Amino acid sequence: MLQSLRHGIRTLCSRRIYFFMLILVPMAGAVFFLSLMHEGLPHRIPTAVVDLDHSQMSRSVTRSLSATQLIDITERKESYADAISSLKAGEIYGFFYIPQDFEKNALGGNHPTLSFVTNMSIYVPGTLAYKGFKTQAVTTNGGLLTAVLQQSGAEAALGLSSGSMMPLNVNANLMGNPWMNYSVYLSQSFLAGLIALLAMVMTVFSITEEIKWHTSPEWLASSRGSMALAIFGKIFPQTVILTVMGWGMLAVMFCYLYFPFHCPAWHMLLAMFLLVASSQAFAIVVAEIVPNVRLSLIVVSLVSILAFSVAGFSFPVEKMYGPIGIFAYILPIRYYFLIYIDQALNGLPLYYSRVYYIVMLGMLLLPLAGLARLRKRCLDPVYVP
Amino acid sequence: MNWLKEFYQVWRRECYLAFTDMGVLIFFFVLPLFYPVIYTLIYNPEVVTDVPAVVVDHSRTAESRDFVRTINATQGIHVIGYAADMGEAREALATKKCYTVFEIPADYARAIGSGGQATVSLYQDMSLLVRYRQVLLSLTGVQQYETLAVTAERVAARAGGLTTLVSGLPIGTQANIAGNPSQGFASFIIPGIVVLILQQGMLMGIAMLAGTRRDRRRRYPMHVDPTDLGAGATATVLGRAACYFTLYLPMAYYVMAIVPYVFELPQAGRPQDYMPFITVMLLATAFLGQTIQIFVRERETSMVLIVFTSVFFLFLSGLTWPRYAFPVFWKAVSDLIPATWGVEGLVHINCNGASLADVSGYLWPLWGLTAAYFVTAVLLRHFTRPTPEETAIARREWEREMNGGELHADA
Repeated sequence: MLQSLRHGIRTLCSRRIYFFMLILVPMAGAVFFLSLMHEGLPHRIPTAVVDLDHSQMSRSVTRSLSATQLIDITERKESYADAISSLKAGEIYGFFYIPQDFEKNALGGNHPTLSFVTNMSIYVPGTLAYKGFKTQAVTTNGGLLTAVLQQSGAEAALGLSSGSMMPLNVNANLMGNPWMNYSVYLSQSFLAGLIALLAMVMTVFSITEEIKWHTSPEWLASSRGSMALAIFGKIFPQTVILTVMGWGMLAVMFCYLYFPFHCPAWHMLLAMFLLVASSQAFAIVVAEIVPNVRLSLIVVSLVSILAFSVAGFSFPVEKMYGPIGIFAYILPIRYYFLIYIDQALNGLPLYYSRVYYIVMLGMLLLPLAGLARLRKRCLDPVYVP
Repeated sequence: MNWLKEFYQVWRRECYLAFTDMGVLIFFFVLPLFYPVIYTLIYNPEVVTDVPAVVVDHSRTAESRDFVRTINATQGIHVIGYAADMGEAREALATKKCYTVFEIPADYARAIGSGGQATVSLYQDMSLLVRYRQVLLSLTGVQQYETLAVTAERVAARAGGLTTLVSGLPIGTQANIAGNPSQGFASFIIPGIVVLILQQGMLMGIAMLAGTRRDRRRRYPMHVDPTDLGAGATATVLGRAACYFTLYLPMAYYVMAIVPYVFELPQAGRPQDYMPFITVMLLATAFLGQTIQIFVRERETSMVLIVFTSVFFLFLSGLTWPRYAFPVFWKAVSDLIPATWGVEGLVHINCNGASLADVSGYLWPLWGLTAAYFVTAVLLRHFTRPTPEETAIARREWEREMNGGELHADA
């Protein structure tokens, strides 16, 4: 056991790529994601106003638009065409259009139309600009309605307060992430996905590399011919390193950036360890099925990159086509993601996540099935480039 | 003349190497052919509809039932049932039977009927922002509808003469969604991600060719790759780039024109706009690949070293998190990646119908990168170029092996 562990540690020290992939990349990933989105929401979206009215009312609409948190009026355009070409050039993500004679028509009861354009091909700023513009249109309406009623003396007669212009109010409770913080939402899943990716790629690489360089018989010998022990010795040091890196990421997110964290720490620490270990188990199964360095690396690379999409970090799995969505459930990262949502984000009792932990534990047993096959290949290594 | 001959020979040799290597072929053809299809299949349901919701109705009146019917009629919300109390609703949330809970207060009907304001509480699971987005959009519609209906009713009831004044809202609102009118997920993510797939596939293919060269260098005398023609720096770099470029141009047309056509994604761009644009991006990528190949010491590490960068490049392209909100440092880093400019430029061309002139702000930096990476690639080649004598020795050894029947799969 000790001897095979020593062999595993020696592998890690043998090449720079292990240091790079197991230590530098996770660190860089954490710094990258957490600093990139540290603002939480991309406020102050560059937008434009097309004001063809040039009236007191249109200027007031423009002023209140630029006073909102979401929108930053970076350009003022004199025509619709100007604004569209600015949008096409990517300088703005949307614009607000105030037509000619807007004030006159609004006060005269001629029902003018305020319109806005948002570029939804870039989703996040497009959606936020939409929200900002829509709010502005609704408030302008409310203000005008009150003004009209006041002018005609109807307000007192109706006993309406300005608040009742909105008879239905919705008190939205966004559980777990009330700030709609994008970093909370994306960093958690993408950093875990990165850890899973590195675990898979490096597991496959370190096992099949022995076959490539024809050193696998010595590797087996270092654990007295036991394939299971050899794999354990080789992989376990990587498990430890990646788990520690993953824990470090969790520590930064929960203890330094104060991301939502509503469960005892060990729930997430255990989940992270299981994520690393079950991803490695998944990769070992791949290496057993295709014990060829190139093919197995291609398989795990494609799987772990697709995992970012198919595990449902941004698009819900239950809305995907059935035959596609089902693949989410063979990926360890899917279960980690569900545990994170239940435990850290929503603070549910452990009971509700029990199945996810059990599945990840069960995945650890999968490599046992193909040990004999891998052993045969290790004893007679053939390198197919 | 001599230079042209060298250029042509390098081109031919590189194509020969690429076509005789299964691994490279996977990156050059299989990846750009199938990845866009797989990605689109994942996101093709486009819009999240009918987010399951549970209602806790403390009011139990005709008005509250009317509200529930209205939200159930929206695209985004599907009321799966009533819960007796918040405890039961929480249980439904915890077991993921629903993702949204509406709590209607006991005084709902009274507040609406007496001209006041009723407040409905919404409890939303925030694990995925698209669900919340869909619920919110539907709810805004319901709110607007109720405002119109209830206000008109109130005014008509109390001051009949004014009905005309408030028959509708004083100002109409018109929202125009540009680029992605269905507001769908595939229409948003695929036009950008296919560009990234092109870049990453090409980089991995180039890196694998380079890694295989390094493997060969270890095997042959003087540590020289026998397939290296020993051509000059610019001829080598341009010849190889020409090979990658010619192989990838059909792929570029495929992902730009055919994939959006098949899946009915936004396709407002014209070929005379996106093909020149993607040409520049492919050139920049071909030279970038020949620059970073210095880090690849082995055939297989090409994958190990490049796969994980896709995650970083996806975010650096500004597709998920807009570039104007980047910290300065990351903005500078993202400027150095061809796909950053490629993604934004091509998304504007393909989704917004921008012309080449419109996206010149993305095209010029791309030309800049092309020039910069060309220089770095040429310099690298200049310093690592084997002398003609060395290549001759290695080639003799290689030919001897080939004739001796000991044919290597990658020769």
